[in-house]
Amino acid sequence: MEMNPLKAKDGEKIALMGNEAIARGALEGGVWIAVGYPGTPSSEVIMTLQEFGAEIYAEWAVNEKVALEIGIGASIGGARSLVTMKGPGLNIASDPLLSASYSGVDGGLLILVADDPGPITTQTEQDSRWYGPLAKLPLISPSNPQEAKDYTVIGLELSERVQLPVILRTTTRVNHAIGEVVLGKISEPRKFRSFKKDPQRFIRAGMTWNLERHRWLNERLVEFEKLAESFSLNRVEGNGEKCIITEGIGYQYVKEFLLNKIESGEKFRILKLGLLYPFPRDFLRKALRGCKETIVVEELDPFLETFLRSELLTFGFSTRIIGKDSGHLPKEGELDLEKLRNLLLGGQNVKDRSLDSAVPIEVPPRPPPLCPGCPHRNSYLGILGGIARAGFSRKDIPIFGDIGCYALSAYPPLSAIWTEHSMGASISMAMGLKLSGFEKPVVATIGDSTFFHTGIQPLIEAVNKRVDMLVVILDNQVVAMTGHQATPSWTKTETGRDVKEVKIEEIVQGIGVDELKIVDPYDLDSMVKAVADSINKRGVKVIISRAPCAILEARRKGRPAYYTVIEDKCTGCLACLRATGCPALYVNEKGKVSIFEEDCYGCALCARYCPTKAIVRGDSVGKKD
Amino acid sequence: MGRKINILISSVGGQGGLSLSRMIAEASRLAGYSIATGETLGMAQRFGSVKSFVRVGIGEKVYSPIFHKNEANYMLCLEIIECARNLEYLDTLLGWIILSYDFRPPVSASLLPSKEKIDSSLLLRRILSYSGERAVLIDPKEVREISGSSRAINASILGAFVEISKIFDDSHAMTAIELVLRNQKAVESSRKAYIFGKSLKGIGDAYSPRRLI
Repeated sequence: MEMNPLKAKDGEKIALMGNEAIARGALEGGVWIAVGYPGTPSSEVIMTLQEFGAEIYAEWAVNEKVALEIGIGASIGGARSLVTMKGPGLNIASDPLLSASYSGVDGGLLILVADDPGPITTQTEQDSRWYGPLAKLPLISPSNPQEAKDYTVIGLELSERVQLPVILRTTTRVNHAIGEVVLGKISEPRKFRSFKKDPQRFIRAGMTWNLERHRWLNERLVEFEKLAESFSLNRVEGNGEKCIITEGIGYQYVKEFLLNKIESGEKFRILKLGLLYPFPRDFLRKALRGCKETIVVEELDPFLETFLRSELLTFGFSTRIIGKDSGHLPKEGELDLEKLRNLLLGGQNVKDRSLDSAVPIEVPPRPPPLCPGCPHRNSYLGILGGIARAGFSRKDIPIFGDIGCYALSAYPPLSAIWTEHSMGASISMAMGLKLSGFEKPVVATIGDSTFFHTGIQPLIEAVNKRVDMLVVILDNQVVAMTGHQATPSWTKTETGRDVKEVKIEEIVQGIGVDELKIVDPYDLDSMVKAVADSINKRGVKVIISRAPCAILEARRKGRPAYYTVIEDKCTGCLACLRATGCPALYVNEKGKVSIFEEDCYGCALCARYCPTKAIVRGDSVGKKD
Repeated sequence: MGRKINILISSVGGQGGLSLSRMIAEASRLAGYSIATGETLGMAQRFGSVKSFVRVGIGEKVYSPIFHKNEANYMLCLEIIECARNLEYLDTLLGWIILSYDFRPPVSASLLPSKEKIDSSLLLRRILSYSGERAVLIDPKEVREISGSSRAINASILGAFVEISKIFDDSHAMTAIELVLRNQKAVESSRKAYIFGKSLKGIGDAYSPRRLI
C-alpha cells in the first residue's frame, strides 16, 4: 500500500490531514514553486512536500513577505506557485499582497492563510477573511480535508484563468483535521513560460496606470465571480424556508447537527459557500429567495453576516438574520457546539448535555514548559543572573521577548520576559521604552529565526539612533516552536538543497553594533558574566547565545547523558525545581525530587542548584542509560 | 442505520497521543469507515496537555471533527492527570475509559506555594467512579517491559480499544500501526504492546483498582 500522500494514485482514497491534502492538491494543481514561513496551523503543507519528496521547489523563506514576493515573481513568469503562512504572517505579507492585485499573475498563484480560532496557538483571533475585500483578491474557504485538496487545485486554476492571485483561507479545524480524501491526478509542474516587459502592469509608480489597473482589477473580480460558479464552489442543499448560510468548518458542524433532521424531512436549506470574496451576490439572491429566517454560521468575525445585511436591501426581499451581530452566537473563540446545536434545533427537545456530564476533577494546569535541557532556560537564567550581578533588581530591568519557544520563559519559575508582541518587536519596543525616558538598562531577547525574519531592521534602527540596550539573540539554529524548520544559517535544507550559510554575527557586525559577544549558554557562569559586563555600557550590545535546540540535537545524535537523584541525599528543598522548572523533574510521594530519566537530556542544570549534591549522572551510579 | 463513535485521547505532549489518533484514523480508512479527527498540534515542545478528538462513522458519515461534553464513547488516556482534566467529555452512562496509569505531575504544580499534593491513587479512584466497571487499566511499566519501549504504550491502548469496541480487525489495526510508525523496530515493539493490550479485561479482573490502590 502506498503511504506517501504525494505518490498515491489517482482515485485512491486515503486518510489525510487538511494540510497534507493541500500539499497533495499543490501537486495535482501543477505547482512548481511552494514557499512559506512556518506558522501554526499552516506549517505541515511545506513540511509534507519536503518530507515526501515532492520534485518541485519546496523551501522555507526568511519571512512571509519574501515568500509571497517569490511566489509573485514566479507567477508573473507563468509558473504556478503556492505560498503558505499563518494569519499574522499575512499581515507581514500584506504589502506585496495589495500590489499583487494590480499587477496580476500569469501562472496560478495560491496564497494559503491559516487562521486559528480559539485561539489555540496564535497571539490573536485574527479573521483573515477581511483580506479578501481589503486586497480585492478572490478568497475561497474549504470545509474539510477533501475540499482543502480540491480547492487548492481549483484555486490555482481560477487564479490562472482570471490572472489574479487567489487566497485559500483555512482554520485550525480544517488544517489539522484528518479525514478521507479521494485523490486526483498529479499534473506536470507548470514552470516558467515567458516574461514580457510591461511597465503599466508591473511598475506601480505611475499614478494614471494604477487607476487603469484598479479598473482592470474590478473587472477581473466580476469575471471571477461568474467563473467560480462553474466550479460549484457555492451550493444549496435542501429547500426549506429556514435557511443557513455557512462556510469552512461551520458547514461540518451544521451537517452533523442537522443530518437526521434533514433526512427525516424537516425543511432546512443550507447555503454552503466556498467562495467568500467577491461576495457571491448573484448566487445568494437566487438561493435566499423564500427564506423566512437565515442563520449565519461562521467562526470569528461576522464577516458573511455583515455583507449579507448590507446586500439584503438590494436583493429586494427580507429575511430575519440570526448570527453574531444579532447576539445569538459569540464573536470570540471557536464556534460553541452546544450553542450552535440549540440554535439549529430550535432549542426545543434539546437538553444541555453538559448538565449530565461528569463534574470535572480539578487538576493543576499544564502549560507547555521549556523542554528539558533547553538552551533558552540557561540563557534566561544567565540574563537574570547578569542583571543581579550588575547590581540591579530583576523587577527593575524590563526584558523584552519575541515570538518563539523562548516566550515560554514567561511562565514561572523563570518569569523572565515582560512582553511578547509581534515578530521582531522586541528590539524596537525596547527602543521605544528607552526613548520615552526610561533610564535604567533594557534587554531585548529574540530568537535566531525571528531575528532573520523581522529583527534585523529594528537592530539597524537601534544602532543608527544610538539607543542604549542589550540585545540577546537566542540562537538555537532552527525554527523550533513550529516543528524544527530550516533557517538561513543552515548549509543544507530539508530537501537536501545545498545553500549558503548566512551568519548572524556577520549581519550584526555589518550593522555596526557597539559590542558583540558569542556565548555558549550551557556555560552559565560565562553567560552571567557577559550580561553583567555589557548591560550598563553605552550603545547597542549584542550577545549571541548559541547552542542547538536540545530536543532536535537529541533526536539527531542521542542525548549526551541523563541524571538521577540519590534519594537519601535529597532533602526535598526543591531548589532544583525552583531554579529550573525543568519538566523532567517531579516531586515524588515522599516529597523528594525524582527525575523522569527517559525525559532527561543531561544538561546538569538541576545538579548545579542542588545544595546537597543529590543529583548525579545516571551512569555514575551504575544504572544503564 | 449506522453509528458514530466518539473517542477522546488525552495525553502529555511527547507520549504518542497524536500517533494513536492517526492509527485509529488509518484503521478506520482500511475498514471503510468514515473518519474525522480534530487535533491541536503544532508546537514542537513536549510536556503540555494534548487533547485529540477522533470520530468514526460506521455505515454513516461523520462531519464534525470535534464533539461536545458528555459525548465520548471512549476516553483513551495516556496519563492520569490528563484523563481527569478531560472527564467532562465522557458519556457517563455508557462511556469506557482505557487508561495507561502513567503519572506525570506538571512541573508547574510542584512549584505552587501551597503545595497541594496530587494523590495519584485518589485521582485514579475518582476517575473510575465515572465509568464504573467500564474501564481498562494498563500498567505502563508492564507495557515497557513487554514491548521494550515506552513509546509503544499507545499501541497497548489501541489493542484494549479494539478488544472492547470490536470495530477493527487486528489486521487493520496492525497495518495502521505500520503505516503510522514507518520504522521496523517501533512497529515490532508496538505489535507486542498491541497484543498485550488486547489481552486485558475490564476492571474487576487482575487490573482491579483494588489491587492497585
